[in-house]
Amino acid sequence: MNQVGDRIIETENLVYAYSQDQEGETRALDGINLTITRGEFVVIIGRNGSGKSTLAKHFNALFLPTVGTVRINGMDTQDPRHLWKIRQTVGMVFQNPDNQIVSTTVEEDVAFGPENLGIPPDEIRRRVDLALEWVGMSEYMRHAPHLLSGGQKQRVAIAGVLAMRPECIVLDEPTAMLDPSGRREVLDTVRRLNKEDGITVVLITHFMNEAVLGDRVVVMDAGKIVMDDVPRKVFSQVELIRRLHLDVPDVTRLAYELDSSGVSVPRDVLTVEEFANALCGF
Amino acid sequence: MSIRVENLSHTYNPGTPFEQCAIDNVTLEIKDGEFVAIVGETGSGKSTLIQHFNGLLKPTEGRVLVDGVDIWGKGVHLKAIRQKVGLVFQYPEHQLFEETVFKDIAFGPRNMGLDDDEVEKRVKQAMKMVGLDFKTVCDRSPFELSGGEKRRVAMAGVIAMEPSVIVLDEPASGLDPFGRDQVLTEIQQLHREFGFTVILVSHSMEDVAKLARRVIVFHRGKLIADGPTRDVFNMEDVLSRAGLEVPQITRLMQELGERNMKVRTDILSVEEAKHEILRVLRSEGRVS
Repeated sequence: MNQVGDRIIETENLVYAYSQDQEGETRALDGINLTITRGEFVVIIGRNGSGKSTLAKHFNALFLPTVGTVRINGMDTQDPRHLWKIRQTVGMVFQNPDNQIVSTTVEEDVAFGPENLGIPPDEIRRRVDLALEWVGMSEYMRHAPHLLSGGQKQRVAIAGVLAMRPECIVLDEPTAMLDPSGRREVLDTVRRLNKEDGITVVLITHFMNEAVLGDRVVVMDAGKIVMDDVPRKVFSQVELIRRLHLDVPDVTRLAYELDSSGVSVPRDVLTVEEFANALCGF
Repeated sequence: MSIRVENLSHTYNPGTPFEQCAIDNVTLEIKDGEFVAIVGETGSGKSTLIQHFNGLLKPTEGRVLVDGVDIWGKGVHLKAIRQKVGLVFQYPEHQLFEETVFKDIAFGPRNMGLDDDEVEKRVKQAMKMVGLDFKTVCDRSPFELSGGEKRRVAMAGVIAMEPSVIVLDEPASGLDPFGRDQVLTEIQQLHREFGFTVILVSHSMEDVAKLARRVIVFHRGKLIADGPTRDVFNMEDVLSRAGLEVPQITRLMQELGERNMKVRTDILSVEEAKHEILRVLRSEGRVS
């Protein structure tokens, strides 16, 4: 595959500004250079107002750059001819599942996207069945979406995106409103889509326990990327992370505290399992 | 102020095909000055329950007693009850509507018929309690504030009515870790310094572990556990039956226990875990 083909999302010196008052402009994004490769699982974290959601909305041309370029599979998002292709390539899932439901049954809801693409009925049927199977919601096909649990609604929203056959899914705090089991359902689904079906995933979250699931963590602050590395490297910098108004997983903080008190535990443990292995051996 | 519910049941849409029993014969009492968390999956009945605490919902069966008075009894003014038991809903900032922060917080006290001086006094006091600076914030539009600030304005609006009980539904959801800590710290202060009885509904067991002294667990409309936080979080089977997870730090200690490390497993914070692990390692001579 050529180079462009491997890069599914590419931003170059991306600036997004909006005018606040007569005084001038505020830069929600301030010179973002980011490349996401096909098949990656990238997590974006950052304090409220750091620009995460604004950045995500550039990935399927909901927002267009004030300065700089965003390319999806090499297509410039500023070029209106590419709009539909881009939106089909990158699907978005938002925080509140209730705002994303459009139909009275689950299968109709999932079919909404492909119907709008003018896909023939047989093919829509196939896609809907497959998408629901992927997210484990086949048995709810004829249910009313508003009566499902939060986690189930979010999985239906993901199925709706999958029915468009995207290469990449961008999820903006998809678990913020869910209970622990709903959160687990959504994360397991996302992880499986990435690992087994090779779908590129961009996950925005405030939960540091979710951030450790990514191959890579991008940390934003004041419209800029301030860290971009594997989770282990990012979260072992406890002080820096906390200065950015973020946090590290509790086990990572405990390892840091114990290490500071003279117990030899690696500072970069990320999970209960890793911590227990480090302290007790196998 | 105490709240007691006796044999409370609530059925939505009774007598229709959509009939659904949301609360099934629950009895519990929350005493004056307590800090209690109510946890459970979506649909377990938590939200239905808290809406009974100030008479937003009427029990299908059973009674709700506030300071011993049946709130649905004859001659009881629900308006007075609602002022004493303040409810802060999930994403309360969606309910902000006034031009300025001052007007928004003043809305409740004004409706109570208080005079201007009293209203201003209460707005100032409420803003102080949630950590908002009166001078710099009061004339600003609530809509230009940050997410955490907006939420504090919404909380202040309830506090300005001077309730004795505050019920908060997911007060930290959607905030970043820093905003989360701030809001939680302020809630803790409301309890410790200002003596409010606090009832917290949350999906975050980490937050519950940090704040609440007592935890009530709901599952499918039934109360399945009620006790000190430390004890409830050490009952792993109860939590998993309720679809919940123990805090990561508690789970770590349980894992270490399973690997024959002689640590206490009823641990609720990183700080506690650190001391406990150091204690055990020292007793084993593995660290000085």
